[in-house]
Amino acid sequence: MLAIDHGAQGVVVITGRLDASQCPTAQAFLDKVEGTVTLDCSGLEYISSAGLGVLLKTQKRLLAASGKLRLVGVNRHLQDIFQYSGFDQIFEIEPGR
Amino acid sequence: MNASRRFGRSFEAIARIFEFTSEFFARAGTDPRLLPPVDLVVEELFTNMVKYGAAADPDAEVRIDMASVPGGVEVSLTDSGVEPFDVTQAPDADTSLPIEGRRPGGLGLHLIRRLVDSWGYEYSKERRESRITFRKTLAAEPARENKSATGGA
Repeated sequence: MLAIDHGAQGVVVITGRLDASQCPTAQAFLDKVEGTVTLDCSGLEYISSAGLGVLLKTQKRLLAASGKLRLVGVNRHLQDIFQYSGFDQIFEIEPGR
Repeated sequence: MNASRRFGRSFEAIARIFEFTSEFFARAGTDPRLLPPVDLVVEELFTNMVKYGAAADPDAEVRIDMASVPGGVEVSLTDSGVEPFDVTQAPDADTSLPIEGRRPGGLGLHLIRRLVDSWGYEYSKERRESRITFRKTLAAEPARENKSATGGA
């Protein structure tokens, strides 16, 4: 399952698994954020290409309005996926533990 | 060890598929580090079948077979009532494009190619059945310090 909500200091916290069945939930939430947004991924266990599409769509929208999406607390599996996808070139990514 | 289960062609089945793969890993004693990439490949292949196969026969189910192999697992997804389409030959996404040119499409196949040891496609004309089989073992996991040489192509 997936949970996404506002955390402390304006950070958006996403936890669980961002698979194809959970993308509508994540997209609906991220469609409402504005400016430069930090997405805390330390509780995000898994992402598929459908989830990458949600992040890409959000990044495009925010960049067009001079904002951006920053990804922090990214675990090793997700780091690999972001690297293979070339997302390390279009997102600011801060690794987790 | 072998296991097999059938799933309706719907995104709602994804959670049950992950339960199946997780149960198999636990029972077979497969290295848990392989579970996230195996789940990802299974999801990408399954969602392709949901998107492109439902028009052919919406009632048909997708069968997933899992088998232990030395150092890992072999997984097959079998879709029936469909026309042949060799997904292993489908074009790759260009992940070197700047964000303006990036589209999510094709990214799933791009990831599969980087995550599996091998994969193959078979089609049975008599049964109108497509089967995709992939293998994932720890032996083919690139060393972390060498990742920059393998990713992002």
